[in-house]
Amino acid sequence: MKINPVYRQESRVSARSFRLPLIILSCNSLLALVALLDMYSMVTQVKATAEIQYSSFLSLYIFGAAIEFAMLLLIVPALTAGSISGERERQTLNLLLTTRMTPADIVLGKLMSCLSTVFLLVVSSFPILALVFVYGGVTGKDIVLLLISFGSTALLAGSMGICCSSVFKRTTIATAVSYCALAVLVLGTLALRRFTASFQVQESGGAGQGTTWMLLVNPAVSFLAAIKGQLSNVRRITVLEMWTGNAPAGLLARWWLGISTAVQTALSALCLWIAVRRVNPRRRRLWRG
Amino acid sequence: MVTINGLKKMYGRAAALDGLDMHVREGALYGFVGPNGAGKTTTIKILTGLLLPDEGKVEIQGEDALADPAGMVDKIGYVPDFFGVYDNLKVSEYMELFASCYGLTGLTARKRSMELLGQVGLDEKTDYYVDGLSRGMKQRLCLARALIHDPLILIMDEPTSGLDPRTRYEFKEILKDLREQEKTVVISSHLLSELSEICTDIGIVEQGRMVLEGTMNHILNQINVQSPLRISVYQGRDQALNILRSHPYVETVTIRHNDIMLNFTGDREDEAALLQQLMDAGVRLCGFMRERGNLESVFIQITSHEEEGRVLIHEN
Ligand SMILES: Nc1ncnc2c1ncn2[C@@H]1O[C@H](COP(=O)(O)OP(=O)(O)OP(=O)(O)O)[C@@H](O)[C@H]1O
Ligand SMILES: [Mg+2]
Repeated sequence: MKINPVYRQESRVSARSFRLPLIILSCNSLLALVALLDMYSMVTQVKATAEIQYSSFLSLYIFGAAIEFAMLLLIVPALTAGSISGERERQTLNLLLTTRMTPADIVLGKLMSCLSTVFLLVVSSFPILALVFVYGGVTGKDIVLLLISFGSTALLAGSMGICCSSVFKRTTIATAVSYCALAVLVLGTLALRRFTASFQVQESGGAGQGTTWMLLVNPAVSFLAAIKGQLSNVRRITVLEMWTGNAPAGLLARWWLGISTAVQTALSALCLWIAVRRVNPRRRRLWRG
Repeated sequence: MVTINGLKKMYGRAAALDGLDMHVREGALYGFVGPNGAGKTTTIKILTGLLLPDEGKVEIQGEDALADPAGMVDKIGYVPDFFGVYDNLKVSEYMELFASCYGLTGLTARKRSMELLGQVGLDEKTDYYVDGLSRGMKQRLCLARALIHDPLILIMDEPTSGLDPRTRYEFKEILKDLREQEKTVVISSHLLSELSEICTDIGIVEQGRMVLEGTMNHILNQINVQSPLRISVYQGRDQALNILRSHPYVETVTIRHNDIMLNFTGDREDEAALLQQLMDAGVRLCGFMRERGNLESVFIQITSHEEEGRVLIHEN
């Protein structure tokens, strides 16, 4: 199989640079610190009350996964926002475009290098998350669901970062815009849903379900859906069910992760398509036909 | 090899190219000359597929380059007017990156890049980081990079700007090598003097149009006709002037110190006849020759749009 040259070059440079080990080290030490503190508090609790709370192990898992998820959201835009604009700034983009590399090759190479960094991060942190396996309660299926959520989140955030990077000429602006876009996606949709729901409560008396579909684009909600199993062990009712309700949107709630992953993947594809178009120097304006 | 017809490109309201025509013969070393903002870079970007023209045709080896940009990629090597280097990448890795962009990998890529680095004199710098090279070395690296896929046509945009005379000389030597490899080279510059030594063909572009194009000999001949005839008169100047003023091929007569400068439109035979005529009239001459044709003066002349009248000028 031919390795994408852009990907190969990126991984070579990142392996040489200080950034990658730094990211991995800081993420994992944060994760380890939290995990160890959690364990420590459990142990002290056991010492004091001689009572072992099984759910606290699971909350360790949830907590660790949530931290890792948050780190993904913070790191991926930083990894990707400079990808295309950086090439433009170094004027190497035009050089690549005069070779056999197509705009799609370049964009995919950038995406792959981002995803492989994320992959490295997730894999390297697994031993810490696996602490919880010692006590059981987390199945292989849970892990797979979590990985799906991580993967689609990294894909979406990465695609958005690359898209911003191709649209804006300057890396700093691209970085700012991709963080903002991600914030809108994660926090904005939640706020908007709550805002619209507050009207609907008065009308129908139930929790507003009409605008819940908006949350399908929200990677954080997908993440909640992915760890639903553990969440319901800790808390009676999951946030998700609170939002989606039981009766009419039940189908949506049951298949939330699948549907939202599909929606977010489509959104990623759209972002990548825009990026490819923006990279292509020979694009004709759409409206000119 | 490369034929461009009626190329037009607008940037907003301003026309960068306004119906440019260009013909590059196979195996030519084509000097593409023009003042700043004439549209050289724009033309080259269109040739390399980095820009889409508004109008016009580009044919490379008889194929429509605008319709099939992907097919042109293998034929063209491009040395831009910037470097385009990655930091944190070594010279050899830089070459291998671009080799792999053309589908060359492994040993073939390594051998090819070493060979090229040797050709441009960078074989001792393979382990240097690219951003640590000097300007001249970067230029040479860019040239080696552009040749990695063994293109038929090499297009260079102002490759000698910012180089010291010695590096320039070396660059020209490399270009001569390339000519021996029967590559077609298009090289843009705003310095004509530099190109006139090495080029076989010249195209002078001005405000997005080709104003003068042809082989070096053709253009030099034209220039020779345009350049003045210098006659040094030892005795009988007035007599000589009388003859010259009534001569059909004499356009202007300028007296500079003891010499007479003529704009003489006749060919060599007419020159001989004029000389004979002057001698027969008893004018004693101690010099009679064409000034050497100078591309630079033509360039200035062409690009400064001034018409000269038929006048007699005393410059004493
Ligand atoms: N991206 C651009 N946007 C707007 N105008 C441009 C752009 N690029 C070039 N131009 C204009 O097009 C004209 C031709 O520019 P071009 O770069 O082709 O000139 P050039 O012959 O390469 O000049 P130089 O010798 O300075 O490199 C100029 O008038 C320039 O102002
Ligand atoms: Mg230029």
